[in-house]
Amino acid sequence: MAKHVVCQVSDLEVGKIIPAKIGRSPIIVSKLPSGEIRAVGGRCPHQGADLEHGCISGHTESESVNTLEYCGQGETLRCPWHGFEFSLLDGRPIVEGTTHLPMKLRFFDVQIEGSDVVVTV
Amino acid sequence: MHIIDTDVHESFASLKDLVPYLPEPYKSWIGNGAWRGFSQPFAYTSPGNGNRADVKSADGSASVSDYNLMRSQLLDPYKLSYAVLTGYFYPTGLKLQYGLGSALASAYNDYVLEHWISKDKRFLGSVQINARDPEAAAREIDRMAAHPQIRQVMLPVVDDIAYGHPMYRPIFAAAERNKLMVAFHHTTFAQGPYGMGLHYMERHCLIPISLMPQVISLIANGVFDSYPNLRFMVLEGGFSWLPHVMWRMDREYRQGRVEVPWIKKLPSQHCRERLRLSTQPTEDISGEDWGKLIDLMGTDDILVFSTDYPHFDFDDPNAAIPKSLPSGTRDKILWKNAADFYGLDVRESTIPNQAAE
Repeated sequence: MAKHVVCQVSDLEVGKIIPAKIGRSPIIVSKLPSGEIRAVGGRCPHQGADLEHGCISGHTESESVNTLEYCGQGETLRCPWHGFEFSLLDGRPIVEGTTHLPMKLRFFDVQIEGSDVVVTV
Repeated sequence: MHIIDTDVHESFASLKDLVPYLPEPYKSWIGNGAWRGFSQPFAYTSPGNGNRADVKSADGSASVSDYNLMRSQLLDPYKLSYAVLTGYFYPTGLKLQYGLGSALASAYNDYVLEHWISKDKRFLGSVQINARDPEAAAREIDRMAAHPQIRQVMLPVVDDIAYGHPMYRPIFAAAERNKLMVAFHHTTFAQGPYGMGLHYMERHCLIPISLMPQVISLIANGVFDSYPNLRFMVLEGGFSWLPHVMWRMDREYRQGRVEVPWIKKLPSQHCRERLRLSTQPTEDISGEDWGKLIDLMGTDDILVFSTDYPHFDFDDPNAAIPKSLPSGTRDKILWKNAADFYGLDVRESTIPNQAAE
């Protein structure tokens, strides 16, 4: 098991993407509204876009046509290329149902040590 | 083996056949020749013009309006279990005078009940409506739905506002509350993205491209989700395009769901569960390619057989659906999928059919 300091606690903000590296592998780090910290593989599982350039937002729900409810601000990651949405709560795509694409974000174990945000691999 | 024909075009001989069924002032208008009906903006190029050249009345004249002829050329020789009448007189084509359009739709429905549907239990009927006046259309659906042989609402392909638009919701609500299905058929005014082309061949090739947007519109605008009991039939609009449309819609939904979250299932799943496509005109592909296409669709529940009688591009059930297909799949195409769609009881013992053996 190796520990990697990926950023400082003071860098974290809800909705902000912090790019980092684990060795040569890119990851992104963000803080959820709950205060939980996410360290996520830095490439989109769809076609490998660099998630550093994505955005963290909410997602929409609706029970009637042309009416949108915006919810979960800070809990949805959108890919910078195709806009595919992933939940930062569980890493799953908002639109399920793909059988042939490994459409799930990779989460890393992350903890705070002093002022450091540390990922363990 | 049974056969259900999901696209059979009955007709009147003349627009004036509707006069007895029209209220005033429209009765006088049509009776006096104030409108001569729709005219296709092209010339047919086949030997029988728009129809099979062998569809002739006893006096040798071309016919599209004779029940006995249809019976002798289609219903009996092919031993059809059911034939779904779909018309080709679509008052929605009138872009003005909505009252006249709605009255014509009602008159046509009454004409078809008396001159066609009442003559043969094998007929299933479509409610013709003026979709441009959706509230009036809904009333017409309510009026017609009581007849036990009426099984669907016919929506002709329009060239301006696709059927997912919210304005059409009363029509879908009426179909759902009356437990009717919804079918779509091309028209003489259906267009592709560049119009009709410059030749009849182009116009005919472009027909599927007028149906695809209807499917996309219905799903994108939540019609499938809003009316969960409705099922949708695309008639004479091709079928080999469906894998593309399903894949494309799934992809677009994944990347654009933020805009349309009222869609609750993958569009491809909606299609597999509740969209059906009639097979005529088949594209003369091999049985092997039929199998590939069905594999790509992900189910053999989607395709339903149709002849398009009496039109010139008629499909003969003995020839059009390859016998090399697995028998279970061929049965689904020829009748089981349609029986399921319309809730028909087709029993081996009561309606024997060996025409296609």
